[in-house]
Amino acid sequence: MEALEMYTVDRRDDVYTEELKLNLGPQHPSTHGVLRVELGMDGEIITAARCDIGYLHRCAEKIGENVSYLQFGPYTDRMDYLAACNNELAWSLAVEKLLGVEAPERAQWLRVIVCELNRIASHLIAFGTYGIDMGANTPFFYAFRERETIMALLERPSGQRMLYNYIRPGGVAHDIDEMWLTDVLGFCDEFEKRWAEYNTLLTTNRIFIGRTANIGIISKEMALDYGLTGPVLRASGVKWDLRRDVPYLWPYDECEFEVPIGEGTHGTLGDCWDRYWVRMREMMESIRIIRQACHKVPSGDFTEKSMLKMYKTPLKPPAGEAYMRCENPRGELGFYVVSEGGQSPIRCRARAPSFCNLSVLDALLPGCMLGDGVAIIGSLDIVLGEVDR
Amino acid sequence: MEVLMAQIEALLGTSGALTLTIAYSVCIGSLLGFITVYAMFAIWMERKVAAHMQQRYGPMEVGGWHGWAQSIADALKLLFKEDLIPRDSNKFMFWIAPAVVFCGVFAGFIAIPFAIGVQIVDLDLGLFFIIAIASIEVVGVIMAGWASNSKYSLFGAIREAAQVVSYEVPAAIALLVPILVVGSFRLGDFNAWQEANGWLIFQSPFMPIAALIFFIASLAGAKRAPFDLPEAESELVSGFHTEYSGMRFSFFFLEEYASMFVSSALMATLFFGGFTLPFVDISSAPAPIAMGLGMLILLVKTFFFIFCQMWLRWTLPRLRVDQVMAMGYKYLLPWGFLCVVGAAWFEAKGWGFLA
Repeated sequence: MEALEMYTVDRRDDVYTEELKLNLGPQHPSTHGVLRVELGMDGEIITAARCDIGYLHRCAEKIGENVSYLQFGPYTDRMDYLAACNNELAWSLAVEKLLGVEAPERAQWLRVIVCELNRIASHLIAFGTYGIDMGANTPFFYAFRERETIMALLERPSGQRMLYNYIRPGGVAHDIDEMWLTDVLGFCDEFEKRWAEYNTLLTTNRIFIGRTANIGIISKEMALDYGLTGPVLRASGVKWDLRRDVPYLWPYDECEFEVPIGEGTHGTLGDCWDRYWVRMREMMESIRIIRQACHKVPSGDFTEKSMLKMYKTPLKPPAGEAYMRCENPRGELGFYVVSEGGQSPIRCRARAPSFCNLSVLDALLPGCMLGDGVAIIGSLDIVLGEVDR
Repeated sequence: MEVLMAQIEALLGTSGALTLTIAYSVCIGSLLGFITVYAMFAIWMERKVAAHMQQRYGPMEVGGWHGWAQSIADALKLLFKEDLIPRDSNKFMFWIAPAVVFCGVFAGFIAIPFAIGVQIVDLDLGLFFIIAIASIEVVGVIMAGWASNSKYSLFGAIREAAQVVSYEVPAAIALLVPILVVGSFRLGDFNAWQEANGWLIFQSPFMPIAALIFFIASLAGAKRAPFDLPEAESELVSGFHTEYSGMRFSFFFLEEYASMFVSSALMATLFFGGFTLPFVDISSAPAPIAMGLGMLILLVKTFFFIFCQMWLRWTLPRLRVDQVMAMGYKYLLPWGFLCVVGAAWFEAKGWGFLA
């Protein structure tokens, strides 16, 4: 690991100024986990930056090669712990592809609903913590109020509040209760009102716009070069959403929804405000999808019949490889699985969106002020569990 | 003060310098007590205000009714904490910085008129004195940041220096506007003028602007959000007091709330009638009643402005360093000058609404 380049400015006999090396993290309130950023500071201006990751490395991928296919599901929950359902979905789809099975219709629709609910929950955290990064503490509590409802909703079918282990190869783990869809629809109505509240509180705040507009600009080319995905890519004006372009679950094809992209409303295209606003609008699109999905959930099996037998013995997919990618709240999550016919895969790799999105940070930070640096880190919305895996 | 001295002389039979010493000791002791109790209440209030704005209850357990004893418990905890001084710090400066910070604000209290006769010294230059003595706080903060030998602390200290020095100018300029009308720096005169004529805020159209400028500048002076850059949590962990803990830390805390009180009390005294009420003549009541009522009125007004400060803190995001500077120099200062010139012209023409 190369050391950060430092330089000395204006050296005289005894009075001189030099660049200050500042460690942002790994224990810092606004690095969203255990990210360490080494900063070279010239006063308030950042002159150099280098990310240091790996503090939360838990060998998730290696574990995947040592446990059975079903057992790895809960591990994927703990990668991007804010969007557990979406992670499970990607893993389950990869395993299903290996097995050559498809989840029944009811399970597909349920997957869409829980994943979109989880996307809202994840974006709510992004919204709330971004407020805290900007010094506004209150939006966080507003966001948590709605997230609490979502967690309670997801707890009913899955039995857990955060790391659901609900979606599994072949379908979903449990069926929903009778009132669940009604309650989800009720939440949608409630959420629309709350969403307007968030916007009056934070989105349209002059100070907030002043802090985020024209900061951390990622151009279209830059976003594509760095392989960014998710809201970070869309905020730069690239209309790319796997749900629309490569529907990994066919119900997405039957739903009507927009793919919000950045427009440079208050500044330049691809600035922090655009990334924030794309996430905010995505929540509304998720609500739209959930509304449509709730009306379309058919009756039937929630798990593939042929799989039920398989659950009793360890899954043994035929030899082969599979790669499935899904649109996570943070971007494109891909799982690459290679089977040789055994109980566990011999290769298991994840393409984590946070990891790829973080790569742009080193290029964005130099030239910004310290406060902007925090705004940029927050706008990338990383989860360190997924970066380090 | 004279009343107190007379009473001490009658009670203890002392005279001259000894009486003065005893009288000052009594005053300072009661002020310290007042500030401590006030700060505890204000911290509890801040937590409650924040909680209710955030759909929470805040402290509910300690002491029974709505956790009223939470601040006392916190203060006790801070008192009993181990006294940590970082190994590589400048120990003397680290040790003295909280005291310096607190002294500046504490000294400001002696010139505040709480009610008729409830004022430790009615200085001729009372207003000037408060503004001047409050600046000492900056020195303490810089000392704290420097002595901690921590980069975050240093950042906080430098931000504080830049910010507070910049915002003292618009604050002082804005205060010139009521001074122009009353023609005195003595805070007692402001009360007398407003008792006779009505609240100064209604005197001219420039008054509300001046009041607003002073309010914003005093937010920055007290390091309150959206100007809490010196201790910006999401950027600098805790800013200049990152390395402080226990009682030393609580002094910084005390200072913040004390300076909120001073600026709010000034706001109430200069623009909103001080301890007087419009249409009600409380000074004609018997002395103890007038004193009690006056203090109550001033406290209510002061706490209203303290509440406003809390309200803003829990609503607004934080500004960036350059934005803070730009706001001070590009907006507040020119508007302040405009107000002074406008108010002077207004007064010279004799167009004042009140007198």
